[in-house]
Amino acid sequence: MTGVASSALRIEGLVKSFAGVRAVDDLSIEIEAGRITGLIGPNGSGKSTTIDCITGFSHPDAGRVILGGQDITGLPAHRVALAGMTRTFQNVRVYERLSVLENLLVAAHELRRFGWWTLFRGGAAATEAEEHLRRRAHELLDLVSLSRLAQAPAGILSYGQRKLVALGMSLMSAPKIIILDEPLAGVNPTIINMISRTVADLNARGQTFLIVEHNMDFIMKHCDRVVVLDSGRLLAEGPAEVVREDERVLAAYLGGKKPAEVVHAGIA
Amino acid sequence: MSPTASEVLDMPGLRTRALRRALLALAAAAILTLPFWAPGDYFLKVAILALTFAVLSTSLNLVFGFAGLLSFAQVGFWGMGAYASALCAVDLDLSPWLSIAAGGLASALAAVVIGAPALRVSRASFVIVTLSFTLVLALVSRSWLELTRGPLGIPGLPSLDLSLPGIGTLSGQDPSVFYFFALGLAAFAVGLVWRLTACPMGRVLLAINQNEPLARSQGIDATRYQLFAFVVSGLLTGMAGGLYVFHLTIVDPTIFDTYYTEMLLIIVILGGPGNLWAVLAASLLFTAIPELLRVGSEYRLVLFGAVLVASALAFPRGLGGWLEQRRFDRWRRESRR
Repeated sequence: MTGVASSALRIEGLVKSFAGVRAVDDLSIEIEAGRITGLIGPNGSGKSTTIDCITGFSHPDAGRVILGGQDITGLPAHRVALAGMTRTFQNVRVYERLSVLENLLVAAHELRRFGWWTLFRGGAAATEAEEHLRRRAHELLDLVSLSRLAQAPAGILSYGQRKLVALGMSLMSAPKIIILDEPLAGVNPTIINMISRTVADLNARGQTFLIVEHNMDFIMKHCDRVVVLDSGRLLAEGPAEVVREDERVLAAYLGGKKPAEVVHAGIA
Repeated sequence: MSPTASEVLDMPGLRTRALRRALLALAAAAILTLPFWAPGDYFLKVAILALTFAVLSTSLNLVFGFAGLLSFAQVGFWGMGAYASALCAVDLDLSPWLSIAAGGLASALAAVVIGAPALRVSRASFVIVTLSFTLVLALVSRSWLELTRGPLGIPGLPSLDLSLPGIGTLSGQDPSVFYFFALGLAAFAVGLVWRLTACPMGRVLLAINQNEPLARSQGIDATRYQLFAFVVSGLLTGMAGGLYVFHLTIVDPTIFDTYYTEMLLIIVILGGPGNLWAVLAASLLFTAIPELLRVGSEYRLVLFGAVLVASALAFPRGLGGWLEQRRFDRWRRESRR
């Protein structure tokens, strides 16, 4: 194992302002390949803005984003996805009028590579690819226990089931890195367990994750490294157990009884 | 669970499927043989109009119902195809068939030219650009006398004839022959859109329509797909305009009448955007019935307004939306078992 090659995603000096407020302020983070990295911080600390900036949903004012050696700074969202980084959304998004299976099929890139004419005509290669994708989609649905509802329109699913579909969709294109934006928020314990287990399983097979989450049990249990943001800046980073003991983090986020808390409470 | 429950569920399902097949076969037979039992030329002309609207509304359905773009350019494409086709036949002495193809290509080209910049900005700007496109074309048709002959239009278009070796020449002046020309174009248009929406691309278009940010996050270049749908609709709508003027034998600025815009929107909204067959049924229904009832054109719009309000209350998402809701409800019940 070479240390250099292990960086899956590198963010350098990222800046994003809205109406003069620096939502992300000179942020540099490195996400290691094959690991689960947690991104935490109080509300308004710039987590979502950071994700929007690196996935092409928002254009950064400055800084660079490098995905596995490829500079993807400022690329439109669909190009970022094609480069190998997929994401889910905080307010879970699915295609409500498509079936659960179709949701997963749409999310796959492989079929679209054949171009319109092949798709239209349905050539042998495209048919084979479609079959392959269907198998893959069924495997993923098995993984998240949704096989029974494969043909159901996604619009009938519960909030938690939609989160499972979103997770499945993010896996369809075998991405280099998956960003999950609050995968556990508003979800019942059964589905929390299911999502946690799925993430852990996939990670054991080498999948890289960047996860924004407020559920500290999950962060502490599953994340190899934790990055803490506050006011758009990097507050702390390191192994979960080290970050947990960091006084600044406790003050800013976990609500520990430390002198600095007074200062931060004043700002908030 | 128990066999009785599945029997109870299956029996009506079987019966409706058989019933639906029988009805479809009957409808297909009626459509294919219509000129042989039609009571008169007027009836045939209504049928030709209905088939033409089937092409127009299916094209709008592709753009609005599938790709999610509210396009007011359809009547512009229709009129542009009509004028391009008439001008090719009269001024350039092209064969009528080639003129129709030229009409379709002109509208497809126009779709690229206005669609590419309009889609870059936002869906709201797309609405405004497409509306302006139609309004400007209507103005040009009335004012650019050297090209369009102005309000008097271009009369005396040649007859659309089809020479079949061994059978002879079929003249498009005969409405029962022209009916089959219109049927051919309608079958081509509906077949093409059906094929496009049934293949993986249709899935992608629906996905973009339902949640564009999600689609983009999955590597879908939404703009390209939407432009493609828009261009296909321009091509089909332009061809419909090009064909229809040979039925009228004249093209004039009334081809841009708001009547067409209103009819198209009513058909697609009441049919249910995104449902190919429901919109097709609505197009045949809403063009044929008022004509056959011989409702005066001034009352017709009042009638349509009333129907639109009534169905907006009863079926807010059209016939297709209502059917889909029933499918959703069925799945909800199933998933609770």
